[in-house]
Amino acid sequence: MAVRAQFENSNEIGVFSLLTNSYCLVAVGGSENFYSVFEGELGDVIPVIHTTIAGCRIIGRLCVGNKNGLLVPNTTTDQELQHIRNSLPEKVAVQRVEERLSALGNVIVCNDYVALVHPDIDRETEEIIADVLGVEVFRQTIADQVLVGSYCSLSNQGGIVHPRTSIQDQDELSSLLQIPLVAGTVNRGSDVIGAGCVVNDWCAFAGMDTTSTELSVMESIFKLQDAQPTAIVNEMRDSLVDTYS
Amino acid sequence: MSLYNFKKIQPVPTSTDFVDIVLSKTQRKTPTVIHKNYNIGRIRQFYMRKVKFTQDSFDEKFKLILDEFPKLDDIHPFYSDLMNVLYDKDHYKLALGQVNTARHLIDQVAKDYCRLLKFGDSLYRCKQLKKAALGRMATVMKRQKDSLAYLEQVRQHLARLPSIDPNTRTLLICGYPNVGKSSFINKVTRADVDVQPYAFTTKSLFVGHMDYKYLRWQVIDTPGILDHPLEERNTIEMQSITAMAHLRSCIMYFMDLSEQCGYSVADQVALFHSIKPLFANKPTMLVINKIDQVKPEDLPEDQQKMIQDIVDQDGVTMVSMSCYLDENVMQVRNTSCDKLLAARVEMKMKGQKINDVINKIHLAEPVARDNVDRPAQIPQAAVGRARFDMKDPNRRRLERDIEAENGGAGVYSADFKSKFPGDIMVFLDTHLLIYLIYTLTERYDLASEDWKYDVIPEFWEGHNIADFIDPEIEEKLEALEREEERLEKEGFYESEEEIIDSEEEELKATAETIREKKKLIVQAHRAAKGNRNIIPKMVAGRASTVDDMNDHLSKMGIDASAVVDRARSVTRKRARSESRADDAVREASVLPRGDSMIRDRSTAGLRNVKQKVEADKQKKVSQRRSNLFAKRGEADRDIQTKMPKHLFSGKAAVGKRDRR
Repeated sequence: MAVRAQFENSNEIGVFSLLTNSYCLVAVGGSENFYSVFEGELGDVIPVIHTTIAGCRIIGRLCVGNKNGLLVPNTTTDQELQHIRNSLPEKVAVQRVEERLSALGNVIVCNDYVALVHPDIDRETEEIIADVLGVEVFRQTIADQVLVGSYCSLSNQGGIVHPRTSIQDQDELSSLLQIPLVAGTVNRGSDVIGAGCVVNDWCAFAGMDTTSTELSVMESIFKLQDAQPTAIVNEMRDSLVDTYS
Repeated sequence: MSLYNFKKIQPVPTSTDFVDIVLSKTQRKTPTVIHKNYNIGRIRQFYMRKVKFTQDSFDEKFKLILDEFPKLDDIHPFYSDLMNVLYDKDHYKLALGQVNTARHLIDQVAKDYCRLLKFGDSLYRCKQLKKAALGRMATVMKRQKDSLAYLEQVRQHLARLPSIDPNTRTLLICGYPNVGKSSFINKVTRADVDVQPYAFTTKSLFVGHMDYKYLRWQVIDTPGILDHPLEERNTIEMQSITAMAHLRSCIMYFMDLSEQCGYSVADQVALFHSIKPLFANKPTMLVINKIDQVKPEDLPEDQQKMIQDIVDQDGVTMVSMSCYLDENVMQVRNTSCDKLLAARVEMKMKGQKINDVINKIHLAEPVARDNVDRPAQIPQAAVGRARFDMKDPNRRRLERDIEAENGGAGVYSADFKSKFPGDIMVFLDTHLLIYLIYTLTERYDLASEDWKYDVIPEFWEGHNIADFIDPEIEEKLEALEREEERLEKEGFYESEEEIIDSEEEELKATAETIREKKKLIVQAHRAAKGNRNIIPKMVAGRASTVDDMNDHLSKMGIDASAVVDRARSVTRKRARSESRADDAVREASVLPRGDSMIRDRSTAGLRNVKQKVEADKQKKVSQRRSNLFAKRGEADRDIQTKMPKHLFSGKAAVGKRDRR
C-alpha cells in the first residue's frame, strides 16, 4: 500500500521519517498530521515513535536502521537515546556511532540482509553496521553518487535507485542486494529517492507530489498489495516511455 | 502545465483611454512649475523632458502589446491556424503592424519636436511646441482606434479559449452534428458540455481531462462538420478541421447508424472519406454510436459494405457503443487510448530521446550469489490488513484526532511517552516455518508509572547525567559480594599469630614515646597560642635582645659567648670622635645659609647701556599691534563675543542710537 504524505509543506518525507519492518521514527512537527499518516497505516502493527536527533527534525537523514537495529549519529543526545531506547521493542539494538560522516541516512542504505555504504566510511563503522543491523556490508556508489542513502530506497522485496543508474550498474547492485531493482523517480521527477519516500516490506510512503505513474512503479517494485515487479516492464512500459520521453 | 497561456495578456485600452492614460501619467511624473524669467536652457529642457517622457510612455505600452500578443509564426501550428480561423490572420497581423507603425510615428514626432525645442527662444514658444508635439501624438493614437478595439476583442476571446496542450496525449472526437460527440466527452471526463437535440450545439472546441493507465489524457470535443469543400466551411467547422489537422492525437470519428442525426449513413461515410487526408499517420477509430437504436449488424448489406470498406482500407479500428445506455463506453475509451499510446511509444522508440529512458524501463533481476534465503519480514498483523480509511466510523483514533479535540495544532502537545496499544507482533518466517514472536514491551515500561514523566536534566552540576548511569550496577555489586563470600569461605581474612621479637618491641616503645612527646609539644604550643595575635618573626625579632639569645642558646647547651661578642652593639660605635664634645657637633649642624645676590635680568646679554635703550625701543614697537587689540601678548588668541547681545537686541534699528 503506497500512501502520499507531506511534512509541513515539504514533500521530502524521507528526510523527516525512518521506516523499518519493526518500528517507525517520525520527526516532531508543528502538528500531528504527518505523524498520524504513519500512525493510521502502521499504528497497530509496529511502534510509531516521535523523536528528534541532536534536536533536529531531519531524523531520516541522520539515522539508519532495519528490523534488527538502529544506528544514530554521535550528535544524538543522551536523553534522545534514552527516549528511543525506551520506546523501541527490546529486540531492536540501538547503537550510537562515532562516524565522521554523521548523516548516516545519507551514507548508508540497508534492508534486513544487505547494506550499501559510502565508500569513505570508517572501517569501525562498517563493523558496527554489520553487527548491530545484522547485514552484509558493501561499499558502493549509485550512478556515481557516493551518497547511497539519498539516491536509493530499499526493502527486502525490491528497490528503486537513482534515475540515471546504468543498466549494468542496476544488474550489479541487484545481484549484490539480491532484490529486483528499477531506476525511477519520486515527487514528480525528483532523483533523491531516499529523501522522497520511505518503505518497508508491506507499506510505502511518498511525497505529495509523486505522480500516479511513480506511485505504481513503487507498488510494483516493492510488491505492495500483491503487485509484481515484472509489471514495470510489461503493463506499465508504455506509460513509462510516454511520460519519461 | 500548458506551454500556451493566453490568459495573461494585459487588457488593451481604447484609443481615447490610451491617450488619457499616457497624458495623465506625463502630468503626474514630470515637473509642472516653470517661470518665464528662468534661464532659457532650463525652460527648453523642461519642455523637452515632457515630450520625451510622453513618447517613452507610448512606446512602453505599445511594446507590451506587441510582446504579449502571440506571434502567429512562432506558436504551434494548431494555435496559429486556430487564430487564423477565428480572428483572420491578415486582420490580426495588420492590427499588430499598425500598432508597430504608430509606435514609430510617435517616436518620429518626439524626435522632430525635441529638435525644434532646442531653438525655442521663449517660454511661450517652447510651450506651444510641446503642445503641438503631444497633440500630434494624440492624433496618431486616434487613428489606431479600430486596431486597438480589434486587439482587445481578440484578447478577450483568446483568454476564453480552452487551454489545449498540442503535444500531450489527446483523443479528438469528430463527426457529423448530433452523432453524440458531446455525450461521449461528458461520459468519459468531467467536462460539462451542453448536449441538445439540434445541430451545432457545440460551436467551439471543448476540452476535458481523464486518467487512464496512470497517465493524464486530454479529450477534445469538436463542433460537428458537414460534407462540403474546404472553402465553403464556416468558422465553426474550420475549428474542427484545424484541430484534426494539427494535433497529434487519436481521431475518433463518430457515426450514427440510426440516422437520427439527420444524415444518412452514406453521407457520413462520404464525409469520412473526404476528411481522411487529415488523419494520415494518426491512429483512427471508427466509433459507431447509438447502438441502442441500430447495431451495425442490422444494417442493409450495402451500408455494411461501406463501413467495412473504411475499416479495411485505412487500418481503422471499429468500435461500437451507446452513450445513452452507457454500453461499451469505457471499452471504446480504453481501446482508443491504447491505440494512441502504442502509436506514440512506437514513434518515441525511433527517436533519440529513448536512450535516456531505456534504463528506467529495465527491471534488474538478481542473480543468486549464495544459498541464503532472504524472505520479506512482514508481521502477521500487517498481512491482509485493510487500508486505513478516514471515513470509517470505527477507525482507530489517531493522534491528530486527539490533537483536534485538545485545541488543535500549536495548542496541543503530544505525549511521546504514551503506551503502544498493540501488544504482540508476530513475524512469519515462511522459510523456516518458525513463528518469531516479538512481544512489544509497552513504551516506557518503567518500574513505577510516576517515573515516566520525571524531568531529568541533561546536565547536573556540570556533569552529564548519562555518563553516570550504569545499567549493570546491580550485577556488578552482586559479583563483588559473591567474591567476598568466596574469599571469606576460603579463609583469606584469617591471619596467623605473628611472633614479635624483643628488638622490635623496644623500637616500638621508643616510637610510642616520641609520638607522645610530640603530641604534648603540639598541645602546649596550641595552649600557649591562645587567642592572641601572631606576631611575625621579623617583628618579633626586633624585640629580642642579645641577652635573650644568650639565654636561649645556653639553655640549649651551646656556648654563645663568641656570638655575643660579635653583637652589633659591642663591635660598632658611632663615627664621632669620643674626644669631641657633643655641643660642638650639634652647633655646626644648625648654622643658617647665607643670602645669595639677585642679579637684574633685564640687562642680561646686553653689552652696554646703549644697547639696552635700543632693545627697549624695539620691544615697544613690537608690542604696539597686540596692544591695539588689547591682547595680553603674542600668545593671546582669545576671541571675545563678536556680537554683544546688549548691542544688537531691542527695538532700536541701525543708526537710531549712538552708543559710543
